[in-house]
Amino acid sequence: MSKEPVAVVGIGQTRHVAARRDVSLAGLVREAARRALADAELTWADVDAVVIGKAPDFFEGVMMPELYLADALGAVGKPLLRVHTAGSVGGSTALVAANLVAARVHGTVLTLAFEKQSESNAMWGLSLPIPFQQPLLAGAGGFFAPHVRAYMRRSGAPDSIGALVAYKDRRNALKNPYAHLHEHDITLEKVVASPMLWDPIRYSETCPSSDGACAMVLTDRAGAARAPRPPAWLLGGAMRSEPTLFAGKDFVSPRAGRDCAADVYRQAGVGDPRRDIDAAEIYVPFSWYEPMWLENLGFAAEGEGWKLTESGATALDGDLPVNMSGGVLSTNPIGASGMIRFAEAALQVRGQAGEHQVDGARRVLGHAYGGGSQFFSMWLVGAQPPDS
Amino acid sequence: MPEVLKAPLVVEFPFTRSLGPVQSAFLTGLRERVVLGVRTTDGRVLVPPVEYDPVTAEEIDELVEVAPTGTVTTWAWNPAPRRGQPLATPFAWVLVRLDGADTALLHALDAPGPDAVRTGMRVRVRWAAERSGAITDIACFAPYDGGPDRPTGHGRAFPDAVTGIVVPARLDYTYSPGRAQSDYIHALAERRTVGERCPSCRKVYVPPRGACPTCGIATAEQVEVGPRGTVTTFCIVNIKAKNLDVEVPYVYAHIALDGADLALHARIGGVPYDQVRMGLRVEPVWTEGARYPDHYRPTGEPDAAYETYKELL
Repeated sequence: MSKEPVAVVGIGQTRHVAARRDVSLAGLVREAARRALADAELTWADVDAVVIGKAPDFFEGVMMPELYLADALGAVGKPLLRVHTAGSVGGSTALVAANLVAARVHGTVLTLAFEKQSESNAMWGLSLPIPFQQPLLAGAGGFFAPHVRAYMRRSGAPDSIGALVAYKDRRNALKNPYAHLHEHDITLEKVVASPMLWDPIRYSETCPSSDGACAMVLTDRAGAARAPRPPAWLLGGAMRSEPTLFAGKDFVSPRAGRDCAADVYRQAGVGDPRRDIDAAEIYVPFSWYEPMWLENLGFAAEGEGWKLTESGATALDGDLPVNMSGGVLSTNPIGASGMIRFAEAALQVRGQAGEHQVDGARRVLGHAYGGGSQFFSMWLVGAQPPDS
Repeated sequence: MPEVLKAPLVVEFPFTRSLGPVQSAFLTGLRERVVLGVRTTDGRVLVPPVEYDPVTAEEIDELVEVAPTGTVTTWAWNPAPRRGQPLATPFAWVLVRLDGADTALLHALDAPGPDAVRTGMRVRVRWAAERSGAITDIACFAPYDGGPDRPTGHGRAFPDAVTGIVVPARLDYTYSPGRAQSDYIHALAERRTVGERCPSCRKVYVPPRGACPTCGIATAEQVEVGPRGTVTTFCIVNIKAKNLDVEVPYVYAHIALDGADLALHARIGGVPYDQVRMGLRVEPVWTEGARYPDHYRPTGEPDAAYETYKELL
């Protein structure tokens, strides 16, 4: 029996900011969930199951928050599942929800991911002192910066590429009312002049710390037929993982990422992603990850990703717009960040992306990664159902 | 067989919480010695209150004062209180349905022993002398012989509402790095770096984990590597970390020790930070009594060719 086609019929997010002191965790997730239901013109009673995700519990220190959030998400009396794959979790969560629909376990599933970084301390959470280990580093930037340098050496990319990405994404964010950073006076010179935190990564080439939630309503073919607005159709979705460190690990272009993309393209019948995909919303927490992931995802040959960025192809008006929403560089509620990428891909093919809409976006990739480049999740969504 | 290491590991952090409107009202009420519940769509009063109706999922915000007196619905004796619990002497954990409420609140009951506690007994709030807008504003419950206290009638809105709280969390673990890493750490005490070779793929892991993550099989064959190695990649850290006593800027590098099949991470010293480069040959610098090399410094050898370490970044 073939899979049930999966449609995204509702999308909601909070206006992402540094600190939402006016709401509890429950109030935050509720806001995104209500907006997704309103977009789909559905009520809590129309939802058969809820699948949520967030980053590690000790970021906010609420153990198993899914238990306490059941009331806020209308999940009482329904299955409520939690997914947990570090920074990629927002993407994995959406895929678990999609699989429940594809397998005809449930007709309509609400999926949601969140993080309240203002009540959390990710830097601390990622740098717990371990007995007998030499303390060397704090935070994610220092972990990823040597991999960026390795990419620069391997590809021969000029130093200027990282700043170009940051400047592009921050300008895209100005067109997205939900983005956290709205730096109206941003210039390329300001990005270049910002302090070097973990050389080669500058301050303006790093993601912010945000409070936010993102929700989507996924449904089957019958649900899509009742939807008030055009749905986004799932054409392919996959997850892959690999160890954080092993002999032969390629941090610049991890095999799990390449395999994950290949699986998605096979499902969707994509032969050449550069030709067959109109835009991509990819998880770029540090600017250089744009050219790195462009290669890992097959949009450019090895060592050539930076040329796409440099040529302007990845700009909003380029032939392969990347991170139309402003990306993780402009908004980073960690647990939600992957789902925001997936939701942006869906918004684009629904024609609902507002000022940052890419004209004629028919097939768009959403991408997330997490941990030490060890978890990958991706989906390709389209304006037409998979069997059309 | 050498000793497998163990050490205490304490993880603690003062988490902050934004309360939202309902919890804000509840905790502000406690500060004013008033217990507030919330009325659900079907007319029940929930104490402690919640923001969303458990039956209909709708927002609920009709706050209702209940009495500081109530009835124990069930209990468990706690003979050995731990740090951070409401009372330092043995007490009963109780669920108390306050007069006027339909649900029970978890708290502590000050009682001389388990024989003095029973389901159905009457209890009364004992307020803390210093109150800040927290569940600990109720110091505990105490046995009480009487009917419902009258509500204060003070109302539900108080000035200067509490909007956030700080919740210290602490976990106490016993940490062990396991057999393979213990061997590695013991060897470091003799200033030797010892990894383990996978019997299948022949890769040498430093530090060893006792298993090969690629082949999924145990490793045992010990292999001494280094002491010299090659900087395969690095970053220059310009941010001072709170828990790290190192002056910035410093170089955080991946170093492939000679004979190892993946890089370990260490600090580079003995050379200006802006002269560190990929391919730099380095050796460990030890300090007396330290478990690890303090840092690595240049050996003065010619740089390694990129081809020799490009798989070890």
